[in-house]
Amino acid sequence: MILLVLVWVVSLSSCKIEPEPIQYGADQCHFCKMNIVDKAHAAQYVTDKGKQYKYDAIECMIREISRAGNLQISMKLVSDFSAPGNMIPAEEASYIISPGIKSPMGANLSAVKELDQAKKLIQEFEGAVFNWDDIQGKINSK
Amino acid sequence: MIFYIVFGFTNLLLGNQIEICPTCEVKTISEGIEMAQPGDELIIQSGLYKEHNLTIKKKLKLTGKGKPVIDGGKSGHILKILADSVTISGLTIQNVEQSYTKDYAAIYISRVKYYEVNNVILENVFFGILVEKSHYGKIYNNQISSVAMSEAGAGNGIHLWHCSNVEIFGNEISDVRDGIYFEFVSDSRIWDNYSHDNIRYGLHFMFSNNDSYQDNVFVNNGAGVAVMFSKFITMTNNRFFKNWGTASYGLLLKEIYDAEIENNIFEENTIGINLEGSTRINYKNNVFKRNGWAVKIAGACYANKFYNNNFLHNSFDISYNSKLNDNSFESNYWSSYTGYDLDKNGIGDIPYRPVKLFSYVVNRTPETIVLLRSLFVDIINFSEKVSPVFTPDNLMDQNPLMKMVL
Repeated sequence: MILLVLVWVVSLSSCKIEPEPIQYGADQCHFCKMNIVDKAHAAQYVTDKGKQYKYDAIECMIREISRAGNLQISMKLVSDFSAPGNMIPAEEASYIISPGIKSPMGANLSAVKELDQAKKLIQEFEGAVFNWDDIQGKINSK
Repeated sequence: MIFYIVFGFTNLLLGNQIEICPTCEVKTISEGIEMAQPGDELIIQSGLYKEHNLTIKKKLKLTGKGKPVIDGGKSGHILKILADSVTISGLTIQNVEQSYTKDYAAIYISRVKYYEVNNVILENVFFGILVEKSHYGKIYNNQISSVAMSEAGAGNGIHLWHCSNVEIFGNEISDVRDGIYFEFVSDSRIWDNYSHDNIRYGLHFMFSNNDSYQDNVFVNNGAGVAVMFSKFITMTNNRFFKNWGTASYGLLLKEIYDAEIENNIFEENTIGINLEGSTRINYKNNVFKRNGWAVKIAGACYANKFYNNNFLHNSFDISYNSKLNDNSFESNYWSSYTGYDLDKNGIGDIPYRPVKLFSYVVNRTPETIVLLRSLFVDIINFSEKVSPVFTPDNLMDQNPLMKMVL
């Protein structure tokens, strides 16, 4: 009986829809197949069914989402450039494209949590600020 | 007067030498750089120099004698080269600052021509040599290493960005992120380098065209070499060893066109060559020995030609993920070929099918790999060989060789 309950608990917990931490240096980008090493630029999303997709750069995730069409995504996360290793919701983040900050796949794209931080960064490094909708259009138009 | 002019002229041509050592008149390198005239040579004698942000804005030669050490104390770049025709040699440079937002380097070279870095030892670096928008350079016989880190936060050994006409040879690079990284680099050559134990790639091309690399050895990296989004790359006489792991390859080709891959050895890699979206590539005289997958072909690869290669004792010789085939396999030696040669012309009388059905099953469900050596798998592979249903039926070597290509 206890065993049954245990099995039930285990099977339930494994179906939770939540992000899985990226193993930097070991995990592979689902789109470009590069190993994920850059803590300031990684991204990931989780589908409705709880499957994890990880990316070495935000531009890779954006391209994959647009190519795959109607994906059932429940959660999209991007790295916070101002706090590397920290993941923030993609829809709420502010994005910068700046020639002074290189990203792994050449789009020079980074994300931060607050709009103010983004504005501060482009003062230091030059560039432009985007929100989630605009940045998708910008990356996919290239 | 004439003597004076001649003297001055030769002086200008040869340049002065300025000696730097802890007990000399000039005690620091920054002082030496400050007082030097363009064309001078700074001779740096052995000793420890705790300096960083040494900015060179004129044509100079920095030569180390007796292994002098420059310690950057983990703050910013150590040497910054911002003038044409600067040569750095014989120095040991160590302790570069690590950062997530800025790419600090032991030697930072920006917007110059005719630079040269040789016989330099770079230790505990973030980026070793970082070159931006510079042309006609030579980087040779250097040793670059950092502290081995299992995770990110590491920089690249030699990183070139928007450069052309560079020669990189005889370097040993280890324990960094990418040994050598080419991003938007054209018309450059890489040879005789030894790149090992790096976290990501031994060598990495991105958006770089018309380059070549030969006679290099890549051992025990996250993955050996990645060539991505590039055209006209020649790869010859390289050795790719021991790149093991789930995301590991000897060579990763992604969206590349018109490449030549000849005389390379791929040994004991999880995947010898992984190719995706790669077209018009010739593979000739390569040896694939004891890899998990010798060649793994995924999606949109057209007009690849495999000719005169040796496939020796790989778990899978070729793996496909689709039923379509536009690539050709001709006159290769396959160690798992079981055909015969009755007319004794050195060519097997029945074609060889390098794709096993089981490789499709593994592609779909990676966990099934535990069944690899089982009888069941042998039976399904055999039945597929007899009547191909899932594997591309035109995918075969019509002239499999009976003897290894030497």
